[in-house]
This record gives sequence, structure tokens and C-alpha cells, in this order.
Amino acid sequence: MRLYRAFPVFSAVFPVLYLAVTYFNLALITYFPTQGELHSLVQRAKEGPSMFWYGWILTAGIGAVAISAISLAVPERIGARISPGWIGVIAVGVMLVFVYLLRGWFLPSVGLILK
Amino acid sequence: MITALLLLHGLLAAALIGAITHQALSAWWPPRKPGGSLFTRFRAVSTASYTNSIIVLFVIEAFIGGVLLYPEYRITARLSLEDYRLLVPLGMFDLKEHFSTVALGLLPAYWYYWKQSPADRSAGVRRFLTTIICFVVWWNFLIGHFTNNIRGLEG
Repeated sequence: MRLYRAFPVFSAVFPVLYLAVTYFNLALITYFPTQGELHSLVQRAKEGPSMFWYGWILTAGIGAVAISAISLAVPERIGARISPGWIGVIAVGVMLVFVYLLRGWFLPSVGLILK
Repeated sequence: MITALLLLHGLLAAALIGAITHQALSAWWPPRKPGGSLFTRFRAVSTASYTNSIIVLFVIEAFIGGVLLYPEYRITARLSLEDYRLLVPLGMFDLKEHFSTVALGLLPAYWYYWKQSPADRSAGVRRFLTTIICFVVWWNFLIGHFTNNIRGLEG
């Protein structure tokens, strides 16, 4: 039961870390799908695309596990004061930031339609 | 092999979308009395019992889509979308990838509040998290199908 207390912390921290890791491209591994090769840290492919997504998840996951583990040291009564609704607010906020960061895919097309 | 995986991905997505929609509607509008209309019976499910199935289906879907299919998409379908300058579908698919990851990270809290926390104290957060995951599942389903069928739609 005590260990489960860290689950909401993981879910609150993971989206924020994933966003930061994606934005700054801090992937722990890079996969090259054309060659089927996996390399450590961020690497650019000489040929074909590079995939950082697995590396982003790994970095954010390790960070979120570490912070969740640390949160277990915080007394339960202090954690109980924080509304669990923040987990959902953070997730929705991160999703909206991704929409903003990826706006470049949508805006040129809107421009073409208007033209 | 890719076609078989894509079919399996689609079939499991249909199961997941059914389960999460049942749970979300039942969490928001629990029926006051048994029976009634089809919509009432659709909501009259044991909501908490769906939780583990939804998590298992979501993780399997993430594995099939993210690990087995995504590299193939990256070196074939995505390059075609880029060649044809289909920017909106590319952006929507990128959002699918990020939304899925955020929802994947929400699963531990989703499980905790459905399975470990008393219903009277966590009804609100249960609804909130279930709604977010439900939205992501629907987004993934629709965008996945749209991208898969884009040759016909754009042709």
C-alpha cells in the first residue's frame, strides 16, 4: 500500500519530464529504423531517419521513477494535502503545449487553404 | 506481417475504445435504476472492473503501435506523407505519439485511484483521468485510421 502512494507522483511528474526531454532532445537512446540499430544517447543517422521517441520515454521514465521513489520519504499527511486533480491538469497542460509546439505542421496548411 | 499487426492493432483498439467509453460514460452518468434504454444499459457497467483490462489493452496497443509498427511507419508511410506535403496528417500523427505517451504515464495514477483509493474520495479524479485517457484512445483510433486510409481519402 505504501509503495502505491508513489503512483500518482509518477503520473504527475512523467508528462512534465517527457515534455522537457522532448523539447531539449535528451534521449538516452536513438534508434535507426532503416539499419535496425540502437545507439546510446542522441545520434544523427548518416542515412535514413533517426528515432528519438524511445529514448525520450526512457529518460522521462527513469526521471519519474527516481522522483516517485524520493516522494515516498515525504510523510503521507503532507502528500494528502495536494489535490489529485493536479495530475489531470498537468497532463492536459502538457498536451496543449505539444499542440502549440507542433503548430508548424498545421499553420502552413491553413495558409494554403486561405490562399 | 505488418498488415497482420496493423489488423491486430485495429481490433485491439476497437476493444479498448469500447471498454474506456463504457467506463467514462458510466463514471460521469451512473444510471439511477437498472434496465431502461440502450444508453442507460450502456452505462450500467461495473466501472472499476474495467480498469485492469483497459491498462493491459493500452500497454499492448502501445507496444504493437510504438515498438512493432512505428519504425515501419517512420521509413515508409511518413516519408510518403512528407513527399506529398500532407502536413496536417503528419502533425496529427505526431500529436498521437505524444498524447499516447502522456496517457501511458497517467496509467499508474489511473490504476491507483480506481483500485486503491476509496470511491467516495476519488470520484472526481477518477472521472478526470478516465476522460483524458478516453480522449487519447479516441484520438489515436481516429487519427490512426485516417492515416492508414489517407491514400484513398486524399486520392
